[in-house]
Amino acid sequence: MTGRDAATAGVRAAAGIGLRAPHVQEVITTCPPVAWLEVHAENYLGGGPARQALDQVRRDYPISLHGVGISLGSADDLDARHLLRLAALIQRIDPVLVSEHLSWSVTGGVYLNHLLPLPYTEESLEIVCRHVDQAQVALGRQILVENPSSYLRFEHSPIPEPEFLVELARRTGCGLLCDVNNIYVSAHNLGFDALAYVDALPPKLVREIHLAGHARNDADGLTILIDDHGSRVSPEVWRLYAHAVAHLGPVATLVEWDTDIPALHVLLAEACVADGLLHKARARTPHAAIA
Amino acid sequence: MPPLREVQAAFLAALLGGPAEPLAAGILGDGLAPEARLDIYRHHVFTTLTAALQATYPVICRLVHEQFFGYAADQYIRAHPPAGPCLFDYGSSFPAFLATFDPCRHLRYLPDVARLEWALNSATHAEESAPLDPMVLSQLPEDDLPGLTLRLDPSLSLLSSPWPIDQIWEVNQPDADSKVVVDMDSGSVYLETRRIGADAVFRALDPATYFFRCALSRGGCLADAAGVALDTDGAFDLSQALWDLFAEQLPVEHAASTSGPQEG
Repeated sequence: MTGRDAATAGVRAAAGIGLRAPHVQEVITTCPPVAWLEVHAENYLGGGPARQALDQVRRDYPISLHGVGISLGSADDLDARHLLRLAALIQRIDPVLVSEHLSWSVTGGVYLNHLLPLPYTEESLEIVCRHVDQAQVALGRQILVENPSSYLRFEHSPIPEPEFLVELARRTGCGLLCDVNNIYVSAHNLGFDALAYVDALPPKLVREIHLAGHARNDADGLTILIDDHGSRVSPEVWRLYAHAVAHLGPVATLVEWDTDIPALHVLLAEACVADGLLHKARARTPHAAIA
Repeated sequence: MPPLREVQAAFLAALLGGPAEPLAAGILGDGLAPEARLDIYRHHVFTTLTAALQATYPVICRLVHEQFFGYAADQYIRAHPPAGPCLFDYGSSFPAFLATFDPCRHLRYLPDVARLEWALNSATHAEESAPLDPMVLSQLPEDDLPGLTLRLDPSLSLLSSPWPIDQIWEVNQPDADSKVVVDMDSGSVYLETRRIGADAVFRALDPATYFFRCALSRGGCLADAAGVALDTDGAFDLSQALWDLFAEQLPVEHAASTSGPQEG
């Protein structure tokens, strides 16, 4: 199936790639055979050449919009103007998926443009549920919420992250975006069991998977994994991914690469590896071919 | 555990250089100091925002030492963190910050070069607008013309400088001819930046045209804008200026003012 055919097929349980600025023209010109593309919504909230290019790309591929700026975990109210701009973009692009993060980035009107950690408490759960409800109403559709990569734990954070996500989905009807690299990175940094985390996610809630590379940094003699999206998916993360699709079934899977962005064919090759593993998962669950 | 709002305010303060306590007291070390864990987030925030400023201000990056730019960006981010979710929107006040930033006060042209780069960035991301059909002018009663106001292309910015910021910008492009020397005494420049097709571009205007377009872009009516232009240059030709405006497809909307031109 070419990308062009896929544009009318909705999102399938196949591999896509994160579309970043250096690859946009090449994708428009060569229309490579990849099932779908994902873009960061906040890069397309202005006008001009970026959005015109997105208008072109969406004719050939299903597009997933991945937000980084709603700040679902902020104690403050959501930015209604931002939601309106996102809703307008959704109207224009008609994305197959819309996703955001279990994190916060805004407080007191300051935007830190980073996915900051939440203590997993009843208070946080109520706030995130309220904001997911508000976002889903404002955007007129279901959103998926992604597990973050974490570098610290709050002392008072009694709800395990997967439990928090599952309860969020139960209360709001949102779906989940399972970032396998984030699980691996967080499990290493915070010392939890990555396999048990994946197993705690109910298959019916997970509508998308993310994969990316990470870096290993030394911090005062301790190895910290950094979710930098700057290299190939590591062998350990591929193994965790194989486990995830065995448990979840075949799910639309995205390969992201954001720093030291390589040639497009390198990214496409990573997507092929994911497609191979999805094929195996599909062979095991023949009736779950459509996500 | 304090309420989430307090935790987040403390987190923000700690990331922007304030004290890590008492936030750190509520963070588990797990073999690493809580402050070191906060540093991982701080590093990412500053790296991302510095990269956004570098992308918007590449000529400023070339005009000052890389380490100096990093230092200026660091100070700017602490004093003026983003007020919106889009990185391409970040840094509008960086030119004003540079104007008051003591370590580069001697580079007096620097803030104006930064203003030019911000105008180009704004042009790149401005919303599209369809040009106004010049036929609307012929359909207006002649008496309405003096009170006519025009909304101009949203990608348009007008900026002037006592320094040759256009030349400075050009010789600091990656493909510039390295033999060209900028004449710093060449006098003031009056520039117009906008997006044409996919490209943000700028060009120099004569002073009368510049002030005419400034007055219109601020919502002034045709008669007032012409008055400002005539004060600048007695030979200013309003009909030619209006023709040029439409030929360049700058007007996107019009309104006939009921109050007419302002007195005085």
